[in-house]
Amino acid sequence: MTDKLAELKLQCAERISNLKSLKELEQLRLDMLGKKGELTQLLKSLGNASPEERPALGQLVNSARESIEKMLEEARSAIIKQERNERLAAERIDVTMPGKLPALGAKHPMTTVLDNLKAIFIGMGYEIAEGPEIETPYYNFDALNIPATHPARSEQDTFYFEGGDSLRTSTSPMQIRIMEQGKLPIRAICPGRVYRRDEVDATHAPVFHQLEGIVVDQGVTMGDLKGTLELFARELFGGNTRVRFRPHYFPFTEPSAEMDASCFACGGEGCRVCKYEGFIEILGCGMIHPRVLQMSGIDPTVYTGFAFGMGLERITMQRFGVSDLRLLYENDVRFLKQF
Amino acid sequence: MNIPIKWLEDFVDISDIDIRRFTDGMTASGTKVEGVHEIGVELENIVVGKITSARPHPNSDKLRVFDVDIGEGSELTIVAGAANVMAGDFVPVAKNGARIGGGRQISTGEIRGVPSQGMMCSIEELGYSRQDYPEAPENGIYVFQEEQALGADVVQLLKLRANVVEFEITSNRTDCFSVMGIAREAAATFERKFKEPCPNPREEGDGNTSDQISVEIHNPKGCPRYVARVVTDVAIGPSPLWMRNRLTMAGLRPINNIVDITNYVNLEMGQPLHAFDISCVDERRIIVRNAAEDEKFVTLDGERRTLDSSMIMIADPNKSLAIAGVMGGENSKVGEGVQTVLFESACFDGPTIRATGAKLGLRTEASSKFEKGLDPNLALLAIERAVELVEELGCGKALKGVVDVYPAERAATTVSYNAERISALINVKFTHEQIEAYLARLGISARDGVASVPTFRQDITMEADIAEEVARLYGYDKIPTQRSTGASSGLTAGKKTHKQLSEDALREILVSCGFFEALCFSFESPRVFDNLRISEDDSLRNVIRVRNPLGEEYSIMRTQTINAILQSLSLNYNRRNASAWLFEMGRTYAPRQDGEGLAAEAEMLTLGMYGGGSDFFMAKGVAEELIARVVDTKVEGSIAPFVEAEACADIPFLHTGRAAKLVVGPGRIEVGFVGEIHPEVAENYEINERVYVAALNLTELFVMPRPTKKYRQLPKFPGISRDIAFVVPDDVTSAQMRRVIVTAAGENLESAELFDVYTGEQVGKGLVSVAFRLNFRAPERTMVDKEVDEAMAVVMNELGSNFGAKQR
Repeated sequence: MTDKLAELKLQCAERISNLKSLKELEQLRLDMLGKKGELTQLLKSLGNASPEERPALGQLVNSARESIEKMLEEARSAIIKQERNERLAAERIDVTMPGKLPALGAKHPMTTVLDNLKAIFIGMGYEIAEGPEIETPYYNFDALNIPATHPARSEQDTFYFEGGDSLRTSTSPMQIRIMEQGKLPIRAICPGRVYRRDEVDATHAPVFHQLEGIVVDQGVTMGDLKGTLELFARELFGGNTRVRFRPHYFPFTEPSAEMDASCFACGGEGCRVCKYEGFIEILGCGMIHPRVLQMSGIDPTVYTGFAFGMGLERITMQRFGVSDLRLLYENDVRFLKQF
Repeated sequence: MNIPIKWLEDFVDISDIDIRRFTDGMTASGTKVEGVHEIGVELENIVVGKITSARPHPNSDKLRVFDVDIGEGSELTIVAGAANVMAGDFVPVAKNGARIGGGRQISTGEIRGVPSQGMMCSIEELGYSRQDYPEAPENGIYVFQEEQALGADVVQLLKLRANVVEFEITSNRTDCFSVMGIAREAAATFERKFKEPCPNPREEGDGNTSDQISVEIHNPKGCPRYVARVVTDVAIGPSPLWMRNRLTMAGLRPINNIVDITNYVNLEMGQPLHAFDISCVDERRIIVRNAAEDEKFVTLDGERRTLDSSMIMIADPNKSLAIAGVMGGENSKVGEGVQTVLFESACFDGPTIRATGAKLGLRTEASSKFEKGLDPNLALLAIERAVELVEELGCGKALKGVVDVYPAERAATTVSYNAERISALINVKFTHEQIEAYLARLGISARDGVASVPTFRQDITMEADIAEEVARLYGYDKIPTQRSTGASSGLTAGKKTHKQLSEDALREILVSCGFFEALCFSFESPRVFDNLRISEDDSLRNVIRVRNPLGEEYSIMRTQTINAILQSLSLNYNRRNASAWLFEMGRTYAPRQDGEGLAAEAEMLTLGMYGGGSDFFMAKGVAEELIARVVDTKVEGSIAPFVEAEACADIPFLHTGRAAKLVVGPGRIEVGFVGEIHPEVAENYEINERVYVAALNLTELFVMPRPTKKYRQLPKFPGISRDIAFVVPDDVTSAQMRRVIVTAAGENLESAELFDVYTGEQVGKGLVSVAFRLNFRAPERTMVDKEVDEAMAVVMNELGSNFGAKQR
């Protein structure tokens, strides 16, 4: 009996070494341990042994069964591992082939810049106001302290409609509309389209975009104007940006200024981008003219404020290095895809 | 405004300030420098030489041969005419390879058989004149007055490099459109003394001005002052080089001495002058009056112009002589043979001159000054300067005295201010003394909060103006920065409105769906209506017309957004871009219905696409999703779709069988449309592909109830799905079928989705095979097959009775 068992184990080991699949393994299991398997037959033959021998023989057969089962289990793990490795090898792909992406679109670069500006000013507590593009002469000019004889009002510069309304020439009328609401203090920006009678060329278009800002409160000073716009410039152009305020003239602010920022291309050294000046003009600003406050129903002896306005096309073009303004309005997808 | 630095130096001593400091300082104090043009920059390799010997030229009587020591060891041999120099003189020498005035290069050569190794230069050959270097001889080589180091750079020694500075002048500073005005600013900026001009004509002529001319002003509002002077013995000729140089540097073309003098004084002082041939003035009477209505007048450019009674004329008793402040007349032009000239220095009402110029389409050097509104007190000073120059240039003799009609003299104005308020506004503490000192630098005297503003500063009328003067001389850059929230307690919340947040969200969806954002003009051509097949009586043709457009192309405010998106798609198609998916957010503009108030502006969102697998249902799907993102689409107790497409064949630019209006909610409010572009329209825009568009009226959508996000419990019990396939006539729409299914299936229907549509021979002509998947679920229990089977039977039965549908 011992010999038979040993031979059976040997036979099993030999067959295992030749196994190629789980299916063959199953066949082996049936051949050994199945109802008609050889070990099962051996176990059945124990009935013929003497009752004295039976426990010892039974133990021998059981032990052989255990070791065969163990062999089979090990063989199963080995085959599974091998099969998995074969599958992995077969499934190798060229990972350097291009990745796939669902076709995405893009916001217009002007929108990207405007979103950027909005985020900066929202962070400083500004609301965003919008208003009509077709304006009355009062909002577009009179309330901004632009007298009837001012050249900006001429038909050379402004688009008019029958009846005297015009396309707004700046976003400044929104200053008036916000102040007239009488809710103080005011911190708001007003982005939007504006119109001037400029022929289309590389730097001009009859339609363009501005962003206006207005702050009215008690005790607002030129220091606040400078501090706010300096912070804004650093947020927009980077922390090392230096700004410069130059006196300027606008009818609706006094004192008035223009703000230049150190050239982002050369850092102020002077280069082609800044025409070797080291600075680039960014915006116009100033303390709101007392007459403008007064016309809008705000007492200039109690409240002061500042306002600023900038052209979005210019900032967008500078930011992305776009040299021709017409590209912004052509809507060529090859251009739009770049942003 | 281009101003040579040397001209400025006539009025303020800034010779020790280098150009960089000068331009930075002027920009910082408010006179922005746009650029610096260097004159004489071409001069190079011109050095001091000493003539050691001079001998006759062997082959010429007029030429001589010089030995010149330029400190380089061996002496140069130079052949020259140079009658005014002799051995021992120190002279400028252009060496071999040097460049002299005008950029001409000097090289070694031979003159009549004698080698010449350079050139001795006159002041003119260095690009200047005796006016600039009065010590220079009239005709000949420049000779240094003192010994100079041999080989020293003449350009540095004689300061031959001149700078012309281009300034940007703001429109409020009428006074700064002149050398004198900018000199005043320079004096204030660098704390120098402004040298007030005191012209002092010698009055060499015989007799008095008032004997020769009289002046009457009929419209003193239009002409507050008129000063006249008469110059006799006029000799027309070229003006001297120095004056021509300065005019040229400032950007004007020299003409003749009399004209140049008027231009020179205009540049220097900012007061336009006019010269008449006095023989053309009948009765020697100047009358300032308004033009007659429809008066015809020939200006000196030869144009015949039609005037109206708002225009001011300079006239004599019989005829007009000039359009005041704009242009003189052909009839009184100063010609070659003129003997006696009448100089006019007047002040005219700015708005009147501006209006006249605009009506005549005529803007001149003079009118551009007058229209800003000049200081009448400048007129006398300018005419005195002009006749002083006439006599200096020897081109005429001034009669004694002036005729000056000045009915209401303008005096200095007073402006009061409060030092504390100014300090608070600027954020710098200023004492009264400091403010007074700053104002004094500008020629404004002030004491105890009251400033006396001279008439040349018409821009200063109130405290805020005083504040700006103080701030800019203190220095904007020195003002300490801060970022306070203001003194009041009110904080403001930085935020976007519902509309702005919604627009952001819509953009995000569109970008994730593959659309690119476009930017389009708001005005377009009236021809677009024909391109879009919009009929003559369509209300879209009721447009707001620009009165003064840049051309027909931009002459109407758009009432639809399809043209703009099609134009953009067309550009892409013509540039052979395989596909283009665009969206645009912008407004349409319609006349106010009641004719009152402002135009009606509506925010529109427009999609346009060709190629890239686009089709009608993609445009529709995106449009529906956009609506669902900004409008509350949940209807209590209903699974009817909130957004529906209604087939329509009446949108003129859309394919009659592939167009739908998008309606929202139980009220079926129309918020936009979707469709394929009509093939004829696509042809008009030269797009040879199917184009799909959708447009949504955001203004309408943004006032509808907003979407609310609220958790709904996930289903606890399993549901049952059933598919149903049937054949119906092909004119039944899926929306109609769905409506029947939803009603018939009962309250436990969770959803019903169309998932297959098939037409073909097996189905039969005029028929379509349709398959829906119905999902049933009861909220509080597990449904059994039997009840679903019953519901399905009702559905099939209803489909049958409504549409004659047959189950497959």
